Amino acid sequence: MSFFWEILQGPWETPSQVSWNLQIMIMGSLVCLSCGLVGTFVVIRRMALLGDAISHGILPGIVLAYLFTGSLSPGPMWIGACLAGLGCGVSIEWLSTRTPLREDAAMGLTFTSFFALGIVLLSLQAGNVHLDPACVLYGDIGLIPLEKELKLWNYTLGNQSIWSTGLVCLTTVISSFVLYRLLLVTSFDLSLAKSLGMPVLCVQYGLMLLLALVIVASFESVGVILVLAMMILPSVSSAFLFDRLPPILISCVPWSILYSIGGIHLAHWTDFPISASMALVGSILFIPCCLFGPKGGVLRKSNMQTGQRIS
Amino acid sequence: MTNPIPIPLEIHDLTVAYEHKPVLYGIDLKVEQGSLVGIIGPNGAGKSTLIKTVMGMIKQEDGYIKIFGNKNHKAITRIGYVPQRESVDWDFPVTAMDVVLMGRFGHTGWFRRINKRDRTFASACLEQMNLLPYADRQIGNLSGGQQQRVFLARALAQQSDLYLMDEPFEGVDAVTEKTIVALLKQLRDQGKTLMVVHHDLSTAKEYFDQLALLNMRLVAYGNTNEVFTNELLQRTYGGKLTVLSEVGSRKVNSH
Amino acid sequence: MSWVCQFYKFKYLLLILVGWSAHQLQADQIIDASAKDWMDRALRFWSFDEPSLQVIVVGVLLVGTNCGLMGGYIVTRRLSMFGDTLSHAVLPGIAVGYIISQSRNQWGLMLGATLSGFIGVAIISLLKKYTKIKADSAMGLILASFYALGICLLSHLQQAPGGGIANLENYLFGSLVGLSQSDLPAIIACLCLIVLTFILLKKELLVSGFDPSFARSIGLPVDIIQFFLWALLAFCIVSSLQIIGVVLVSALLIIPAATSWLLTHRMSHLLILSAVIGSLSALMGCFFSFLTNHLPAGPTIILCSTFIFLMVLFCSPYRGIIPAWARSRKRAQRIRLENTLKASYQVLEEFGFGQESFTQSHLARRRGKSDGEIEQEVYAMIRQGFATRTAKTQDQPNELPSENMISLTPSGWEVACRMIRNHRLWELYLTNEASYAPDHVHDDAEKIEHIIGEKTVRQLERILENPRMDPHGKPIPGRDDIDRGWASSPSSSIQ
Repeated sequence: MSFFWEILQGPWETPSQVSWNLQIMIMGSLVCLSCGLVGTFVVIRRMALLGDAISHGILPGIVLAYLFTGSLSPGPMWIGACLAGLGCGVSIEWLSTRTPLREDAAMGLTFTSFFALGIVLLSLQAGNVHLDPACVLYGDIGLIPLEKELKLWNYTLGNQSIWSTGLVCLTTVISSFVLYRLLLVTSFDLSLAKSLGMPVLCVQYGLMLLLALVIVASFESVGVILVLAMMILPSVSSAFLFDRLPPILISCVPWSILYSIGGIHLAHWTDFPISASMALVGSILFIPCCLFGPKGGVLRKSNMQTGQRIS
Repeated sequence: MTNPIPIPLEIHDLTVAYEHKPVLYGIDLKVEQGSLVGIIGPNGAGKSTLIKTVMGMIKQEDGYIKIFGNKNHKAITRIGYVPQRESVDWDFPVTAMDVVLMGRFGHTGWFRRINKRDRTFASACLEQMNLLPYADRQIGNLSGGQQQRVFLARALAQQSDLYLMDEPFEGVDAVTEKTIVALLKQLRDQGKTLMVVHHDLSTAKEYFDQLALLNMRLVAYGNTNEVFTNELLQRTYGGKLTVLSEVGSRKVNSH
Repeated sequence: MSWVCQFYKFKYLLLILVGWSAHQLQADQIIDASAKDWMDRALRFWSFDEPSLQVIVVGVLLVGTNCGLMGGYIVTRRLSMFGDTLSHAVLPGIAVGYIISQSRNQWGLMLGATLSGFIGVAIISLLKKYTKIKADSAMGLILASFYALGICLLSHLQQAPGGGIANLENYLFGSLVGLSQSDLPAIIACLCLIVLTFILLKKELLVSGFDPSFARSIGLPVDIIQFFLWALLAFCIVSSLQIIGVVLVSALLIIPAATSWLLTHRMSHLLILSAVIGSLSALMGCFFSFLTNHLPAGPTIILCSTFIFLMVLFCSPYRGIIPAWARSRKRAQRIRLENTLKASYQVLEEFGFGQESFTQSHLARRRGKSDGEIEQEVYAMIRQGFATRTAKTQDQPNELPSENMISLTPSGWEVACRMIRNHRLWELYLTNEASYAPDHVHDDAEKIEHIIGEKTVRQLERILENPRMDPHGKPIPGRDDIDRGWASSPSSSIQ
């Protein structure tokens, strides 16, 4: 019992520890929430792997922006990432339509090449503490509290990274609220979207831009591969709990808080990297959803029947 | 100016290719307002392709499509499209009501909230298709016939002037089939124009006023009793024009 | 107080991580202070007599071959992203293998990694089969979850007392320095297994890949073959991890195979070619990494294979973009020439074939083009030997004084006749057989006439029973008209 108590209380014992971990928790929740919202749309459009590809493909853009400006400020990095992501998307599209290569091969080829380019560029600038391959691969959310404080006039507002991620998160929330209907219809039935006169391509590219924005924002804390976990896990877990899109989107909020708190505790207990622990907590939480979820869970009797009927 | 109401659908010399093989070749078709047209032809004749091309989902190689006299795709908003049942992701997290409400989006605008009128209208559409008890079911939990009717209810909610339907009778029960036929005739009587892809020759004659016989080429188009003849059907179903398809594929490849 | 310790420990660990990554970047680059400049280093590389270098080169070549061969299988079955997922899914297995075997025993790690990759794949197929999760989400889910688990376990092991497992980043980006002689047997075993499988199970693989239901109906154990191939793929990935790393090993699977897919579609050729390209790019990457003393090996190898891919994409003789562009330019020129010749025929036809030559302005009127353009076209016709130009003779006074008379040579006449014949035959075919309206067929025939082959023409003639008139009532020149030369007109031959 005391063992559990220790795990539960571990990260929150002293005030300074609380403030340190609270910052990590807020950061983690913001990252998870923005990833989860964008990820829900990405998953229902069956573009999960494209999301993976783009999260790798934007690396050279980020690195170049960093090499040019010499700082990790999100503005130039976002522009660089968008350009690289655009290049990645265009070349996937071009290769799969104009050459005999299939889409999956085009995708695998493009994003790995871009990623390799990014890593090589990164290592040209050796001895870099802020941006190194480890950060690219699993981020260092644990260092977030060390970021500069944001100062506005004479008031200290708190951590700069948290503010910028919060801004991105707000953008995601607002756009998924405003564009909800466009995203819903274009994902569900393209022909209907067209016959309603919706700008299908604009929506597609808008979502891609949003994806790039979110990936850049979470790049520093979780890296390019774990961001995939944050995108897919919330919506896929919720898909077993709800059968309408709005509750799935809203459920991203509790999920993201759960992931970040769980991640902090797990990391505190086991000394795992926090970002990877967050993803791990998400995967562990996915299992009961998948098995016992009321909407299509594997071990639910009623769902087994409907499953048989559909197949 | 002599014709105040433009023709709902005019297709001129339409050629469509799929992976470098021509599927439709030089189609000419004019559909008058208020007609109920069945598109008939063997498998792989390009029936669905024709409809999808009109919807702008497949690129055309040649020719043009006019929708209500409009060559660009602006007038596509006046079309209601009922997709093939297999083309829909039935695990998508929406309920029957949500699907029908999507049909109202064209009327409410994309950003404004759905008001009560839209909701009651959508309920009425569901009611007409006998689906009101299932309104809150996720679409994957409906039977095949119910799923088809959900999409018809959505088409109703869209209040379009031209309806394109891809195999609405595919895999539905007899009751649903009757409901759908009644709905088609009712829409036609309201002055709407309908084009329906159909593959069952035995019922084609009683369901439709006009038929378009299609096999890569438009073999014939006209009133059912004139077109539904043994000779024309023989030509539609009697194999493909091999030289045409072979040369056509070379033409597409040479682009 | 405990918190402060915690904090220091935490920070210390992060510093170790950062430090290790920096250190690794250094270590990755095969450092030797004696190598003064690039020439020197290149010489050292190619002289090939340092044992450590020999091991590296042999290992790299073998890994390139392995991945190339397996990649051929993956790319042709559209499993590219699947390979990527599998390569991430092996990560926890490395850690578990290490924990169980309690050493950096190559075989223990391999077994663990292969098993974990296998479990990942099995979960993907279970999710796809029994839940509503789609294939792409299932793959992304497994990729990210297994990767997270792997990162957690490996970083934990790294911090374990006694140094623990070799550097985490060795497994993420690969390294050449870490490669020792003891790693080679596994790579060689993998190569043997792959080659044996591909030779012994050639037919079975082909059938089960191309048409699984047919394969099942003739009694092939499709599922077992599938699982075996997954295991083999996992083994191949695991044995290559040391050099390329988890993150980019899928690239070495996909890119060489995709490159050879551009060149050939025959399975056996494709496999050999992609093995060659794979090992070549691995060698190149290894060389550059060695040469610059600066670049991590894995990404450099991948960039080299991307370079080869781009070269093939742009320059390969049959499908390359540049040759294809040149070909389409040439074809456009040919079509223009053929159109000029056709127009010449039509000009002559207008004259009722009463005269043998015409002027440029006749042609310009017929083609509806400006004088300058026609000048060029006529010049092209003359240069190719399809026409001759003579000074204007006195017995045709109705022409403009400055114009020369153009007449077709026998070969020019032949091409012109052929074009006209193709055009009119096709028009007739469309009206008679495909029931087009006569006013619809011209545009189509304009395109078809240039690409229709002699065989199709004969087929058309047979179907249409050797017609003499097109739908517009104009004569179709036949074989005999071509042979007889322009002097005897087709119109005379029908009369």
